[in-house]
Amino acid sequence: MKRFLLTLCVAAATMFAAQEASAQIKVGEGQISIALESNNSYYAPDKTLEDIGLVVPDKRVKGDFGSNDYLKVDYNIGRFSAGIQVDGYLPALYGYDFYDYAQRDTKLNMFLTKYIQWEDQNWGIRLGDIYDQFGNGLIFRAYEDRALAFNNSLAGARVHYNFNNMVTVKALAGLPRLYDMRSKSTIWGGDLSLSISDMAGWYDGVVAIEGSYVGRYQKDASVNFPVERNGVENDILNMVSGRLNFEYAGVSLRGEYAAKLNEDIYNPMYPAAKGNVVTVDLGYNYQRFSASASFRRMENMTTFIEYRNIGIGGGNAMNYIPLLTRQHTYSLANLNPYRGASVHTGGEIGGQMDLYYSLRNPKARGKYWNFHLNFSMFNTLNHTNQMTKQQMDSRNVWIDVNFDVERQWSKKLKTTFFYSFQRWDEEINHYDSPMAHYCRSHIFVGDVTYKFNKKHSMRFEAQYLASNDYEGDWVAATIEYNFAPKFSFYVSDMWNCENMQDGAYGNYYVDLNTFEGDYYKLHYYQVGASFTHNSLRVQLSYGRNRAGYVCSGGVCRFQPAYTGANLALTLSF
Amino acid sequence: MKKLMFLMLALMVGVSASAQNLPDVKVESQEAKVISTLDLVDGTPMIISFWSTTCKPCIMELNAINDNLLDWLEEVDMKVVAVSVDDARTVSRARAMTKGQGWDDYVCVYDKNQDFKRAMNVSLTPHTFIVDGKGKIVYSHSGYTPGSEQELFEKIKALK
Repeated sequence: MKRFLLTLCVAAATMFAAQEASAQIKVGEGQISIALESNNSYYAPDKTLEDIGLVVPDKRVKGDFGSNDYLKVDYNIGRFSAGIQVDGYLPALYGYDFYDYAQRDTKLNMFLTKYIQWEDQNWGIRLGDIYDQFGNGLIFRAYEDRALAFNNSLAGARVHYNFNNMVTVKALAGLPRLYDMRSKSTIWGGDLSLSISDMAGWYDGVVAIEGSYVGRYQKDASVNFPVERNGVENDILNMVSGRLNFEYAGVSLRGEYAAKLNEDIYNPMYPAAKGNVVTVDLGYNYQRFSASASFRRMENMTTFIEYRNIGIGGGNAMNYIPLLTRQHTYSLANLNPYRGASVHTGGEIGGQMDLYYSLRNPKARGKYWNFHLNFSMFNTLNHTNQMTKQQMDSRNVWIDVNFDVERQWSKKLKTTFFYSFQRWDEEINHYDSPMAHYCRSHIFVGDVTYKFNKKHSMRFEAQYLASNDYEGDWVAATIEYNFAPKFSFYVSDMWNCENMQDGAYGNYYVDLNTFEGDYYKLHYYQVGASFTHNSLRVQLSYGRNRAGYVCSGGVCRFQPAYTGANLALTLSF
Repeated sequence: MKKLMFLMLALMVGVSASAQNLPDVKVESQEAKVISTLDLVDGTPMIISFWSTTCKPCIMELNAINDNLLDWLEEVDMKVVAVSVDDARTVSRARAMTKGQGWDDYVCVYDKNQDFKRAMNVSLTPHTFIVDGKGKIVYSHSGYTPGSEQELFEKIKALK
């Protein structure tokens, strides 16, 4: 609590300083820019959650305070730039993989990344921490996602060269970051892209052929791992990918095929296997109608930075094969997101589709209708259950259909109606069970924003979820009042209005036999306020948070339930 | 004490007068061609807004700017650059959405590996910048509350 209050004081001081200091710092001809992000939580005791077993206080061994902080400083002069970023986990927030998998057990865990870079007109070189990806990232992606405390930046070197936009080559090598340490694995690779349209002098569209190669060396990868389940023959893993991009007159087609050329461990419990993935994206737009569809089939393509002597977790990834289902902004639609079938079965096949249409008079912008329909479906592949050695047929594990219509009635009033149907196989989330157990949810949302005048506005949101899953039905509401451009306040509540049943809640299994009555019709309430001034933003909230999956960019982490206060601050200058 | 405050204030104003330049980063255009962010600088002041398909306030802000844009253009010469920070997973949805929301007057660019986002020190979206005709960043604002688009317009008008 003390540390949380201290953070609050620091935030107040920063706010005061930032009132006037939305400035840049000039050093000679160059310039320095600074960005700070700080996310803090104070975890309060909550007897109700503890009694039900949704909170296990012992699991939070690192105390009642957590803080994930990022300070980034860059210097830039002409084509040269250099920078550092200090990540501080003081200690890490509860529920992030960093909390469970960091190697150093300390309350003040820091990690430093740094780079120098020269970016010329046609070529560039970067030394230090590299963020990059080849194609869709299917075989290599080094990136940062602070919502997951994810960062696998590659410490090494990268060069790239571009010849008249026709040929672009890139090569890189380095040691990836794995939570709070540098991995012992080495990753290297190259990427080539040929723009056929530029070569042919055709500028109305795009035709490009691209390809990449990535290698990973892991010391002793081929030494029996785990003893009787080896199958890795080589310490080096080779991966390749080929891509085709086409774009003309509102039609786009992008396809990528990628494969692991060697046997590799995609799940530490299973034997090693080769893997492959194919993705196809189609896009079409005509005036105010647009459509996009994606298809993907993947098999054994989860690729770890290293799998020896280390816990796996979400941060241990050198490629990027995210979940393709829609990530919702309404809380009840996000209660049970698709978590992927590949964890236990190795692969999945499926796709998703979006249709957008906007009905509007181009002259009168104050009134319009926006329609959006989204659909996705994923199945497992035919595969062998690795525990029972039983042959398993492909089966459906996820379907959702989402529809929303947005109506701007006037400059003052806007309404949104949203409906979602979701059906998922609960069994596949826990193990590769031969029998499916389907849960179905229907979610209805109404959302109204009313602007009283140029500065004052209010938003009200009501949600209802009907489901046959372990938690049953929910209702939720949010009221938000805004004083533009600086202040915003909100109060919200999610109420699990049906009795919970025994079942698995993420990492917990709740046995409710010991309780009776309505004891566990839980309220998940939140109150919060935010203040914005220039690039400074401070948000303070307090409430009870449900145990569940928090997803960002198609990657999910499990957030255990907690009650507490959160303070988030971002500032850049 | 007053003198000291005044001195500090003067110092800060002095510092803020030296605005930052738009960094040179590669992004993808609506037509899927790789362009430099410096190509966006063409003498017209612009609003640069970072958004993503999963960021609701971002879409609200871009819709609000779009609703007002015709009125604003009667008073000042300006343009709006919508930078999608969607990654490979949602970039095709972002491309479809810009059309389906009627953002016809926007310059839409795609920052798939978030190089532009990193270079502009954007931590949270929405984050909106005002850049003058010469490529100097004169103002930035993070977060969106309905009505705060007016402030952007005031800042653009003040550039004249």
